[in-house]
Amino acid sequence: MTKQLTMEEQNKFKKKVTVNNPIVYIQMSVVILFTIIPFIYPSFRLMDVMAKILIFTIVVASFDLLLGYTGILSFAHGMFFGIGAYSVALILYYSSTPAWYHIVLAVIVSLLISIAIALIISFFSLRVKAIFFAMLTLALAEFAHILGVQWTGLTGGEDGISFVLPSIFNFNQSLGNLFNTQINGRLIVYYLILICTIVLFAGLLRFIRSPLGRVLKSIRENEQRTIALGYQTFGYQIYSIVFSAAIASLGGILFAMWLCYVNPDSVFHTAIMVNILLMVLIGGMGTLYGSIIGAGFLIITENWLPELLKAIAALTPDNLIVRSMADRWQLYFGILFVLVVIFFPKGVIGTTRSFLDQKQQKNKPLV
Amino acid sequence: MTMQTIALNTDKNRVKTGFGWAIGIGLFLLPLIWIDLVTYLTLTVAGISLGMLIFLIASGLTLIFGLMVVLNLAHSAFFAFGAYAGYTVLNLFNSLGWIETASLSAGILYLMLALCTAGGVGALLGVATEKLVIKKVYGDHLMQLLVTVGVAFVIVEILKIIWGVNDEVVPVPMGFQDSFIIYGVFVEYFRVIAIIIGVGVFAALQFLLKKTKIGIIVRAGVENREIVKTTGYNISLIFTSIFALGAALASIGGTMMAIFNQAVDPGMGDQFLIFALIVVIIGGMGSVTGSFVGAIIVGLSFNYVAFLVPKMALGVNFMIMAVILLIRPKGLFGKD
Repeated sequence: MTKQLTMEEQNKFKKKVTVNNPIVYIQMSVVILFTIIPFIYPSFRLMDVMAKILIFTIVVASFDLLLGYTGILSFAHGMFFGIGAYSVALILYYSSTPAWYHIVLAVIVSLLISIAIALIISFFSLRVKAIFFAMLTLALAEFAHILGVQWTGLTGGEDGISFVLPSIFNFNQSLGNLFNTQINGRLIVYYLILICTIVLFAGLLRFIRSPLGRVLKSIRENEQRTIALGYQTFGYQIYSIVFSAAIASLGGILFAMWLCYVNPDSVFHTAIMVNILLMVLIGGMGTLYGSIIGAGFLIITENWLPELLKAIAALTPDNLIVRSMADRWQLYFGILFVLVVIFFPKGVIGTTRSFLDQKQQKNKPLV
Repeated sequence: MTMQTIALNTDKNRVKTGFGWAIGIGLFLLPLIWIDLVTYLTLTVAGISLGMLIFLIASGLTLIFGLMVVLNLAHSAFFAFGAYAGYTVLNLFNSLGWIETASLSAGILYLMLALCTAGGVGALLGVATEKLVIKKVYGDHLMQLLVTVGVAFVIVEILKIIWGVNDEVVPVPMGFQDSFIIYGVFVEYFRVIAIIIGVGVFAALQFLLKKTKIGIIVRAGVENREIVKTTGYNISLIFTSIFALGAALASIGGTMMAIFNQAVDPGMGDQFLIFALIVVIIGGMGSVTGSFVGAIIVGLSFNYVAFLVPKMALGVNFMIMAVILLIRPKGLFGKD
């Protein structure tokens, strides 16, 4: 009896490994690609795109935890991102001699602020209805943007703040060459972003596979049933809101460190939130891995679409309408957004998964 | 025994409601401690007129939510588009040289023309949005909410293509900038017009909802859509028309706000969407009366606080919202 069981278990284990294998390979190759890119093709622009993809992968994955796994729509995710960015910017800007511990301080401060705000929002709105949460967070996010613009004494208003990173992160500092590539602060920050992204993403994967994550999924599927099973859904929702807010603010810190500059429009604006939403939708809600695809797609198009459009517009230089259509490249993102929601609501990963499931079911012999 | 309890309960409720009103009115007299009476009255008139403008946006939002359970975030875009439409009409008259010198009565005529244009444009946008986009995702509230975000983005981008990204100055008829004085209180004519339009829209909406057959169908639709469908009414037509009405109200609000601020910019919708959301949360989702009261509360408190502590003006509205959410989580007039 016992032997049979272990056999079964062994089989199960084997099966699991073989199923997981392609995913593990893909994971490894993506990580390796991001690691070696600065050495293979040392171009600032490419590295910039890669770093932004990494940062937004984290932000989008944490948003997916909220939207896709818990079923809560929050418009304040961009605000938490901005809180992280502004806390590191302000602390480094106002400290006379920036040192590495100022970054640690910024991490602590931004985590405290965002967790406190997340707790307050969830306390006020979750008691009532999910839609209240969306409204309240939207109003709050707009408020944060206005605060960033108008509180000129602290934030510098629309001009924003530029600052210098301390010690080894300093962009102007060179630490020698490796494989024909200059090792400077920017490269070190890039690897910091890469490491943080891998750690946080692994943390998120672990989170959704934990018993806690399962409860969150069941809340999304049917809140009443989860309550009937004896779970305090309110508490679990707060967990997920606080956790995702904390990760979003960490993403904001990385973003500010990469740019060494923040202004209200770059971190608090609604357009950021729309971008995050679009990334989640393209990748697929409730898939986590979709965040890499969504962030990658959007940031790459964001970088090269304007040039493409300008090239098209250059073909007919006299046509004013074509030129202004080419200038407003965000329009195409908006149209894409609407189309994705209507025709492609599962996103890339979700659609692929359901396609694979169908195929599997077809291959199964009918018993 | 039960009769007595019921009587006692209603008595208690009445006392409670009266108490609530007393506290509410008391709170709004509170600024008198720091502000002298004349300034207070001026601020009150300004606050009520601001409230009426906010009501125009919030009423559409709450109507659409009440009937269709769609939180329409494209409302901010309708608002901005309406503002630009009204601005274009006024600019056209201005290029003919009619606006700058216009007297009050002529100004009102031009205003009506601008408002009609804005309302028409808004209604068209609303119909297009509802038919082309929102209808495709019926049944999934989250997706509807998301799709309106995308629509808002698209409309604002189209607006930028048509009118450019810069702020524009809105020509305002001379007659609107004049003011008259009662008991030492300066009252601008435009503020009075804003109040009249706001109260008029409120009265018309109440009449439409409470006294006409369409209103009965709409209210029945809010209670139970399926039953209305089975009784043979074309609910989809009603949805479209309510959506168009809400969008038209937002556009009219946009034009009014453009004249009020004497400027338009592409981002103006987002700023006033906060006010509208706060008002809808305070008043209770789906209640027109609630958003009327909520809009007055927000307009007044915004003006008083902006006079006393300018930086806190928007923050106070958030605090009011938080307090009301604590006492009545469904909003002042929200149904349980």
